[in-house]
Amino acid sequence: MLSMDILLVTILAAIGLSIIGIALGLILLGIDRRISARMQARIGPPLRQPFIDLKKLLSKENVIPENAIPSLFNAAPIVALASSIVVLLYLPIGSMMPILGGYGDLILVMYLLAVPALAMVAGGFASGSPYATVGAQREMVSMIAYELPLASIVIAVAWLLYSSGVADPFALTSIVANPIWSLVGPLGVVGLIILLLTFAWVSPAELSKIPFDTPEAETELAGGVLVEYSGKNLGLFTVAQGVKTLVMGGLAVAIFFPWNLSPLFGLTGYVALTVDAAFFFAKVILLMILSVTVIRTGLARFRITHVVTLFWVWLGVAGLFGLSLVILDSVLRGWF
Amino acid sequence: MSEGTPTKKAPYVVPIGPIHPALKEPVQFLFDMEGEVVKKADFAPGQAHRGIEWMGMRRNPIQIIHMTDRICGICGVTHSFAFARAIEQIVDIEVPAHAEYIRVIIAEFERIQSHLLWAGVAAHELGFDTLFYLAWRVREEAMDVIEYITGNRVNYGLIQVGGVRRDITPEQHPTIQKCLDGYRDLLGKMLNLFLKDTTIAIRCKDCGLLSFEEARNLCTVGPTARASGVPKDVRVDYPYSAYGDLDISPILPTAYGGDINGDVYDRIVVRLLEVAQSVEIIETCLKEMPEGPILWEPKLPKLLSACKKAQGEAVGRHEAPRGECLHYVAMDGHEAPAMWKVKASSYSNLHSWIPMLEGEQLADVPIIVASIDPCLSCTDRVAVIRGAKRDLMTKEDLHQLSVEKTRRIQGC
Amino acid sequence: MALPMIREIFAQVFKRPATNPFPARFLPPSVTEFLKKVGAGEATINPPVATPPNFRGKIVYDRDGCIGCNLCIRVCPAHAIEFIPETKRIRIYVAQCIFCSQCNDICPKGVLTMSPEFLLATEDRFAESQIVE
Repeated sequence: MLSMDILLVTILAAIGLSIIGIALGLILLGIDRRISARMQARIGPPLRQPFIDLKKLLSKENVIPENAIPSLFNAAPIVALASSIVVLLYLPIGSMMPILGGYGDLILVMYLLAVPALAMVAGGFASGSPYATVGAQREMVSMIAYELPLASIVIAVAWLLYSSGVADPFALTSIVANPIWSLVGPLGVVGLIILLLTFAWVSPAELSKIPFDTPEAETELAGGVLVEYSGKNLGLFTVAQGVKTLVMGGLAVAIFFPWNLSPLFGLTGYVALTVDAAFFFAKVILLMILSVTVIRTGLARFRITHVVTLFWVWLGVAGLFGLSLVILDSVLRGWF
Repeated sequence: MSEGTPTKKAPYVVPIGPIHPALKEPVQFLFDMEGEVVKKADFAPGQAHRGIEWMGMRRNPIQIIHMTDRICGICGVTHSFAFARAIEQIVDIEVPAHAEYIRVIIAEFERIQSHLLWAGVAAHELGFDTLFYLAWRVREEAMDVIEYITGNRVNYGLIQVGGVRRDITPEQHPTIQKCLDGYRDLLGKMLNLFLKDTTIAIRCKDCGLLSFEEARNLCTVGPTARASGVPKDVRVDYPYSAYGDLDISPILPTAYGGDINGDVYDRIVVRLLEVAQSVEIIETCLKEMPEGPILWEPKLPKLLSACKKAQGEAVGRHEAPRGECLHYVAMDGHEAPAMWKVKASSYSNLHSWIPMLEGEQLADVPIIVASIDPCLSCTDRVAVIRGAKRDLMTKEDLHQLSVEKTRRIQGC
Repeated sequence: MALPMIREIFAQVFKRPATNPFPARFLPPSVTEFLKKVGAGEATINPPVATPPNFRGKIVYDRDGCIGCNLCIRVCPAHAIEFIPETKRIRIYVAQCIFCSQCNDICPKGVLTMSPEFLLATEDRFAESQIVE
């Protein structure tokens, strides 16, 4: 049983990390908008624009449509935000171990990642608008679609750790402690690169960004699942989107790029924590630009049928191919 | 619930419009949906009627000519060109050749900017905002030259009854030529970005099909008809102004090397290639422009009295960027015309929406709707509202009304 | 899978944005306050895109040369010109003007011209800036 002190520290740390996570998430959204604007030959909004938007949204009242189911409609944004923050608490940030590290593993994180999308589906169905209903149906379809490639990545990582004799292969702490690239031979590196690219395509889908923003599809569904949301509820969804962006970046860093700066310079204590956290955030920004900003700026929106084909056929095959390369690699190395 | 899954659910209705992000102008659609597939489509125009013809019938032709600039927000010269041609036929004015060439130059610049504007809107409907910004950025070059020639970006005010109001002097040629060279260099890039992009191709190919027969039977005009293989172009079929001196032929999708499918992709091909054609036309016109006056009658009071004396009726036509634009004018010896009727090109194209939309996915509705380049404020001519009640007029009602009106005008 | 746009956007990141940051790079908290500051010389304004020669902006009226012939009123499509019988001069409502410059063409004395001024937006259509006489 936990002692009161540790519980208190955990709660405080969780609150602190949530606030920092929300702020960093919003900054990420700002950076994304800025870079995307520069790619389109625009100046773009200032970096603090998401904060300005959020302030405005939070100062406005919620409008609940007549046909909506108010309880579900209002609960959806809270659930979405809460679940994305909880995922954040499971992520190792730099050299800081996750606050809730002892209470769950990668499988739990995968489930938690699905919760914001589920909340959006529930909120969409609850808002009683035909646009939101179509959007919610599409959100469900695309959720089912991108789970397969994501699952193949998780299995590959766990298999790798398991076959290398690491205890607790699904725990994020052990994934970070054993960078996967060091556990494989040349064949496995190819497999991991394929998996990394697959992950880069899953991230924008998780985040409902173009080309996978069919559930929101501004031009045909006018915002889809979010069409009836306004004011504070929409603000909460915006925050959840920011945190989710941070989480997806953080997950990619934890799985594929877990290295830290502090051992390189022999730093210790709080300095090491700060430097590693900053390095972590820099890696997240870079990954987000490459896998979210570039893709959403350089592609047209897919039809929902294209999304399903892409994830089930092309990326599904790519994920499984990467997984089999990784397994083949470890099997071959077992022989020689 | 993607397509292919048989659903027991009754078809549900998705309304789009009159105000919706997919629509740049108000029109209402009602779709009976089955899953993601449009089973039945219907639309109701008439949401943007402004009574501009009513205003015109209380003004003299010289005033109307600048009101026609404002019928459409994009075609700043189309309507004034067609209207001026109608008045010129009634008053029996011969437009100086120099002016005819300037008219053609500005009409073709308008085609360039209108097609690029459309390309941007189409990209936006596909969720490809980067291409939208790029298309509109390169469109600015044409807008700047138009502003340089006419003095305004949107409402050019260049056409006058019997000619044009501003000359294109030899000093202006280098600026115009520079813009044209820029477009010639750019065309390859635009074709590459629009037609080679896989994400655009999978969204646009075999989407919003309009067969040759349907295009012909529904009397579609302009790029909508040409993309379905109907070689229809007022500039070629009934040469007017300086177009008779030029060697042009209607652009069909085959010009890009493919087959004619009549899909959205073909409409992109036709419009982009027409930009190239317009560049060629402007260059030829600049080179071969004869010397001479720019107006039949530079003194406006004299022109006014000539118009006032005239009697008769005429139809003025012009190939607008969206297709044939038609103005019918009747003058009966008064200052104001007795009758002025505008038929914008989109009016002929709207009905092609129904065969294009039925059987398509909801996701493709915006791009199909945009693919005919609808211009609804130009098109909307009738809105019957009596009190709180909106009447629907059938064909018989309209026929009866027009018979009555003809009798009234004839005075019997 | 061909994605020609990806190359294009990477090249664009390193080029200057095409936007003209008029009147300021980012939206000031209050535009009116900002313009007041510009007027007082405390802030600088990014100039708008230059207008070409012969641009048709706000109308300029030379009252002394006018002979009160009313021809401009006959050709004004927007009915923006009003004749004041007492002074035998005209008054132009800029809020109604459509900038066709047809009155300039017909004026026998050439007292009407178009200036390049185009920042005319205001909340009051009868404000001093909106009436030329």
